[in-house]
Amino acid sequence: MAEVRWHRAAALADVREGEIIGVRVHDASIALVRLDGHVYAIDNLCTHDFAFLSQGFLDGREVECPLHAARFDVVTGKCLGGPAMADVHTYPVRVEDDEVQVGLPVGLPSG
Amino acid sequence: MFLKNFWYVAAYDHEVARKPVGRMILGEPVVFFRRQDGTPVALEDRCVHRHLPLHMGKLVGDHLQCHYHGLRYDCSGQCVKVPGQDAVPPSARVKAYPVVERYRWLWIWMGDPALADPDKITDFHWFDDPAWGAKGCYLHVKANWQLIVDNLLDLTHLAFVHESTIGNAALVDNAAVKVTRAPNNVVVTRWIIDAPAPPTFVKAGGFTTPVDRWQIIDFVPPAFLRLDVGCTPTGTGAPQGRRVGGITMRNLNAITPETETTSHYFWGQAHDWDVGNRALTDMLVEQITTAFLEDVAVFEAQQRNMTILPNAPQIDINADTGVIQARRILDRIHQEDLAAAATMAAAE
Repeated sequence: MAEVRWHRAAALADVREGEIIGVRVHDASIALVRLDGHVYAIDNLCTHDFAFLSQGFLDGREVECPLHAARFDVVTGKCLGGPAMADVHTYPVRVEDDEVQVGLPVGLPSG
Repeated sequence: MFLKNFWYVAAYDHEVARKPVGRMILGEPVVFFRRQDGTPVALEDRCVHRHLPLHMGKLVGDHLQCHYHGLRYDCSGQCVKVPGQDAVPPSARVKAYPVVERYRWLWIWMGDPALADPDKITDFHWFDDPAWGAKGCYLHVKANWQLIVDNLLDLTHLAFVHESTIGNAALVDNAAVKVTRAPNNVVVTRWIIDAPAPPTFVKAGGFTTPVDRWQIIDFVPPAFLRLDVGCTPTGTGAPQGRRVGGITMRNLNAITPETETTSHYFWGQAHDWDVGNRALTDMLVEQITTAFLEDVAVFEAQQRNMTILPNAPQIDINADTGVIQARRILDRIHQEDLAAAATMAAAE
């Protein structure tokens, strides 16, 4: 597994249950989702036309892109419906002292 | 594309009296007048004999008489008199449209009259509510109605088109935007926290220190956009629902298609402070008028290009979320209308 460096992404209080927010982590645009107490992190850019998934519509663990309605699973990053075809990357998340941290790969270009 | 099963704003109450007024609504010529008791009437603006617009005629009691050969119509659109003969052909009738007067406007139902329910008229009560100072305006726009709807759903344009009045850079860079949707509603909520007030707000409320500013855009089909806008001094709790020491306004918009490339843009501004101050109302309307004229220049230029190149491609940006969600609702309604029409045609 690639080495990751942990970065602060958000205050835990800013990621509310059942909501998706967009944050910048280092150089990456990341979407954070809180479901059943767990926080998940995926690329925030839709793989179709780079719209912000954090401005989309969350229904359970599916997010619908706000522009052209592509759908992604926020836990696995899998693309569930077009016009996007590629999955979004997922990132490891850990919560320490009420701070959400995201692990970005070291040595690879980010978002 | 026109969506017919809706109430549309057709005119201001003061525009229609005993002189017939002709106006094109959703591609149909309509004539408006009032009965002697003051209630409004809307008929097809075309004599069924030789097509002359009936608005060129005159009222005889509650009957509208055609200027050409004197055919007279009652308020249901039935011809009741043909000069020079006793019998009136039963087929001599024109369409009558349901029309209701509310909120200082005349509203017309363009669809199947059996479906006309006044309870479905969109709420614009601010125009005749004593808790608000308000004034209504009108613009004729040589552009498709949907371009105007789009404009009101994406307010990032304020920073570029309206720099001298209601726009500044904070609107694009610092705005927190949230779009929520329901089957027949889109709400775009924008907050700009701790930023300078734009020129119009400085004039209205004298804000020389930073403000928290909100723009909450409510869209209902087909083309009604009611904006809750205002600001308070920063840090006084506005995002949490506490509005003190600031200003609150409504920018109210009702767009009625005239043709596929022209529109009737009914709009107005309301303010909830100093409500009896007509000079304040006039100043706010003047500022917004300046901005809206800048928009009209944009719409008409867009339309010129779109008329010349109707199939040219376009791309979307993140700021288009509200715009796109509203267009999806309108497209869905249009598809439902087409399906209903196809069902009816098949049944015949």
